[in-house]
Amino acid sequence: MPVLLDPPEGCRRPTYLMVKHHRKLEMLMYLLGLVWFFALPSDNVSSASYFSENSLLPGLVKGGFVEDSFAKTLLASLQDEISANPTKMPYPWLLAQFRQIGLDTYTHNFTLNYPLASDLAFEGQNVYGILRAPRGSSTEAIVLSVPFRGSKSVHPSTAAGVALMLAIAKFCRRQKYWAKDLIFLITDHEQLGAQAWLEAYHQTSSGSHAVLNSGDLLSRGGAIQAAVNLELLSDRISHIDVKIEGLNGQLPNLDLVNLVHMLCNKEGVHHTFHNRANYGDGQYKVDPYKSWAYSLQTMLEMVFAQASGVPNGNHGLFHRFGIEAVTLTGYRKVDRGSPATFYQVGRVLEGILRSLNNLLERFHQSYFFYLLSATDRYISIGIYIPAVGLMASTLLLRALAVWRSLQLPSLQSDKAKLLRAQEISNSFASVGLTVLAAHALGVLLLRVPVWSALYLNVGADSSFAVVIGLLSFTAVTICLPSLMSMRQDSLLLLYVIGLIELATVLLAVSLHNFPLAILCSIVYVPFALFANGGRLRILRIVCWLLLQPLLLVAIMIFTYTSIYFPDDVILSKAVHAFKEALTFSYVDYAVYGNWMLSVGATFLFPTWFVLWVVVLKTL
Amino acid sequence: MIVWAVFTLILSSVSALGQSGLYGDEFHEELVLKQLPSGHVYSYFQFTTLWENGGDQPNHHCHLFPQSLSEVLHLYNVDEMHLSLTGGLWRHENWGYPVVSAPPGAELWAWFKEGTHDVDKKWTLLSNALSGLFCASLNFINPQQSPSPKYSFAPLGAYGSASQNRSLLRYSTLPREIVCTENLTPFKKLLPCDSKKGLSSLLNAGNIHNANYHSLGIHVRPQCKDENCHETVLELKQTVSLVYDLIILGQESRDWSFRKLFGVGLAGPCPLAKSSKIYVDCSTNATTFDYNLSPDPTEFINSNRGGYNTVFAVYDIKKTHIINMFSVSATHKGPRVQSIISPPVIHATRYIVGYGQEHGGIVTKIHNNHWKEIDITLFENIPWFLPTYYHTLKITANGGKQVLKPYAKHYLPGRDRSRPYTLEFLVTLPPRSVTEIYLEFDYSFLKWQEYPPDANHGFYVGAAAITTLLPHTKNYTGVPIDGSTFSSSINASRDTYPVTLHTEILLVTLPTPDFSMPYNVICLACTVVALAFGPLHNHTTKRLQMLDPSEETKGVIANLRQRLNSFLTQSTKAKEQSSPAPSEVIKSPQKEEAACGSKVTSRKKDRAAKSS
Repeated sequence: MPVLLDPPEGCRRPTYLMVKHHRKLEMLMYLLGLVWFFALPSDNVSSASYFSENSLLPGLVKGGFVEDSFAKTLLASLQDEISANPTKMPYPWLLAQFRQIGLDTYTHNFTLNYPLASDLAFEGQNVYGILRAPRGSSTEAIVLSVPFRGSKSVHPSTAAGVALMLAIAKFCRRQKYWAKDLIFLITDHEQLGAQAWLEAYHQTSSGSHAVLNSGDLLSRGGAIQAAVNLELLSDRISHIDVKIEGLNGQLPNLDLVNLVHMLCNKEGVHHTFHNRANYGDGQYKVDPYKSWAYSLQTMLEMVFAQASGVPNGNHGLFHRFGIEAVTLTGYRKVDRGSPATFYQVGRVLEGILRSLNNLLERFHQSYFFYLLSATDRYISIGIYIPAVGLMASTLLLRALAVWRSLQLPSLQSDKAKLLRAQEISNSFASVGLTVLAAHALGVLLLRVPVWSALYLNVGADSSFAVVIGLLSFTAVTICLPSLMSMRQDSLLLLYVIGLIELATVLLAVSLHNFPLAILCSIVYVPFALFANGGRLRILRIVCWLLLQPLLLVAIMIFTYTSIYFPDDVILSKAVHAFKEALTFSYVDYAVYGNWMLSVGATFLFPTWFVLWVVVLKTL
Repeated sequence: MIVWAVFTLILSSVSALGQSGLYGDEFHEELVLKQLPSGHVYSYFQFTTLWENGGDQPNHHCHLFPQSLSEVLHLYNVDEMHLSLTGGLWRHENWGYPVVSAPPGAELWAWFKEGTHDVDKKWTLLSNALSGLFCASLNFINPQQSPSPKYSFAPLGAYGSASQNRSLLRYSTLPREIVCTENLTPFKKLLPCDSKKGLSSLLNAGNIHNANYHSLGIHVRPQCKDENCHETVLELKQTVSLVYDLIILGQESRDWSFRKLFGVGLAGPCPLAKSSKIYVDCSTNATTFDYNLSPDPTEFINSNRGGYNTVFAVYDIKKTHIINMFSVSATHKGPRVQSIISPPVIHATRYIVGYGQEHGGIVTKIHNNHWKEIDITLFENIPWFLPTYYHTLKITANGGKQVLKPYAKHYLPGRDRSRPYTLEFLVTLPPRSVTEIYLEFDYSFLKWQEYPPDANHGFYVGAAAITTLLPHTKNYTGVPIDGSTFSSSINASRDTYPVTLHTEILLVTLPTPDFSMPYNVICLACTVVALAFGPLHNHTTKRLQMLDPSEETKGVIANLRQRLNSFLTQSTKAKEQSSPAPSEVIKSPQKEEAACGSKVTSRKKDRAAKSS
């Protein structure tokens, strides 16, 4: 503390040493961060999960769900309805079922004005029924939702989920212990329906103006405390996969995730995380290295899913509204062995709903920021954040070193120093302009997709226009620095600013979406450090060019395609995927308010551009 | 045997005293049963006590009127009082209108007598007394949180509307109040027969609090003694409203009976009661439902009220010869039919919009299903911790297409910790419309002691009250203002039918600090970082520069003292000046100066060299 509060003369030494050995330190810190990150899933670092919220009382009551035969009857009836009308949701059938069970039943209409076309609109309709709590006054609610899929859908049918939900509704209707309203929601058009329903429930809009017209709801059930999204793909279930990654990498409270896993465990339902069961279940002796490698892969699956910022189920859209939600996906049992039945899964859901009903307060006790390396092991924010902290601080260290070298070159006389200071302050103008221009370009980039889709006539496909627009914009920005001329001193100053901004962006993102920050750090940090130097200029330019956010996405998609579809025509498939990815990123931004595009365009791209100027101009 | 005979004689004479009207006091007990279109069963108990000269003398004998309550009323100058303790929400859309409406939780409003000076103090004392009387947390009502509505909650008593000095009215709700057995027991003790005999013996706590909606009500008002209304009596209405869900009560059966609803049968009427009647609304029998009532009722009454016909099966318990236990039961015939529920003329819903913990909005939606315009009064009472913005008030109908202009408006902005935000207005709802009232607010950040132990549960906002006059009696069951008992509502056609609706209560999540160990750690860590930041910033940005002590600017006094000193000790000073004083400042070794290579040290070196 005295070092900090009252630095005497001699204590300048640490700073000096830091600056003097900054290259070694940077390398050390980067490697340490990397090692830290990869050590996270080890059993010595991660901890066993536990319940923080005592009022959940999971699995304390005896299950009473016995409507599994009713669910089977409903499933057969629903499948008939679907085959009779494969494109539309069987509204009359669903409404009749809800009414017969005795719920307050409502429909909800919404319209999507497609953001990349001037006159293209899609309509949809959700169905929901509210079970009014006998022991409450509609101040709180719990949602159980199922996305409905017709037989023409690209995804497997969730008819089994609808049937089980109705059976659970019938069971719950007869119980008197509900203190929170239960809302049974069947959504149309996958995530769009869920988003529209949530926006209508909260009478708000998260995306761009007038894109998703979410309509209005006739009835509500108070503040939603938690939600469970159910996707059962069959009535014979091999395992239940618990999906947690939400929009912009938001996660549900760890207590809810633990609750689901624990109740699956209790009812003897095989449960997984990213379709991976725990390593060494039922084995007497476990090889620690293999165990680590297995957990690492599970964690990396989560890291990649979360970093994308796209929810992997309808649950992901609830998080924004302060509603803890998970998706339970039940996969069809194809191999031999006894599957989990409606009876068991029904009991799991009953247990979840009863535990949520017990909640006295909102979920707040357990972690909101964590990584999972198995269904029952977690890594909390306090453990994982140093990894990204170490990596991002290398940039700050480099910035400090460059700044010092800029400030105090080996000049002897006072006059020379004064002149030097003058020069630096003169270069502020050109540097400031460059930084400002970079950010202006970023804001422009955010509008490029919609402009190119609306005003670029290259055929019927708007996504092609988006790709053309973005690629040409990228080409322009790559060539732009050649028009500029900058002094070497100014470049150093620009480099400092670029480094500081990159570090700030990484640290800021890491607080919200750690996986995205750590992946960006791993990729960008070494090259950002490499951007300044005397030798290997060509290599530096090529490297930094490949790190252009758009090109990086293209490279990633190409790699992914060549790994997962090695037999097909890779190029055409990759180009198609690239096109889709860009279009979806804009649509997600405009409809759901996904931050990925805006963060990429307004922060990552300008930083890249600033450093691109440095890389290109430094001789 | 003789003793027994004498005892019976005395008992009967005492009971006859009560009934005979020697004092002009009356007690009536009534029970109304109605099968609601949604399949729920609504049972409404009303115990009416009329106390002649009740309001006149403070020490008047009470007879049938509960003394504990009468003392409270006299002591605090209460003219009219309405208290309700409710669990659950009345679903107007499915159930129509109740006989008396009440919001979830506790609601208390009272009119004080003309000429009461310290209304606020009396109000506090009244709520505290009632708190003790009913074992409810009414003592949390304080004058600061109790507005005086300007248009709503008009007095219901005789002569009440003659002088409406609104400063005599206080209104308050406790939306979080949970109603249970502890409130029911003192409630029953106020009855002349307690729960020993009569309809009140049906009020079994275990069965009542199992209902989807249960509401206890105490309503006191002065009422006309006769039609001429030259004299008044004090009327006490004790009401119990219950809504049972038959699906929850009995597995698949739609049949109901006393035993199923209340757990017991009826042993007989309260001997002190002037009338003891059970009304079963059979209007929907043979149309929506099809059931047999057993035993056969004493009579059927056709009530034609405002164009709508209602059939009541009446059981007069006084006239019924009860051998063992009396129970009314309905046995359904035929298959279960899902009936279409037609919502009542006016119903409303209220909810919070927006997300996050910065700002939000309160929306009240009022449905008018009538073919004509209807005037309503809306009263919103929003707690101080949700500061509302009056300029954001929007009253629109039919999806925002039609902007409505209220013809009277009253807004009282709140003050932190001392006054709630109240908004009241009169507006005409267009025919067949949905009117939306939208008001924006901020979530305020409370002081840390102001959070309750379950801070993350959220905070409650009381219900809004809508008062209106209905044009017809569809779904309407209210007792007319000039009547006391439920029987007075039979054939009581009037021009309009007053009704008060209460909306949902709301649960809002205020920004809540994380009251946990990590929170404390974060606070501590932030403090440390804040302390460290300043020196670090200093260290990296500032440079030390030496100043010559002789050039230092000093204060006026210091200057004077120095001059004085120099004047006094001129001769000694001259000797001292030759020794190098500033060189003491430099302590840093030469080695480090070279290592740091900074400007500061080099300057120091210069100065040291100069001074030496």
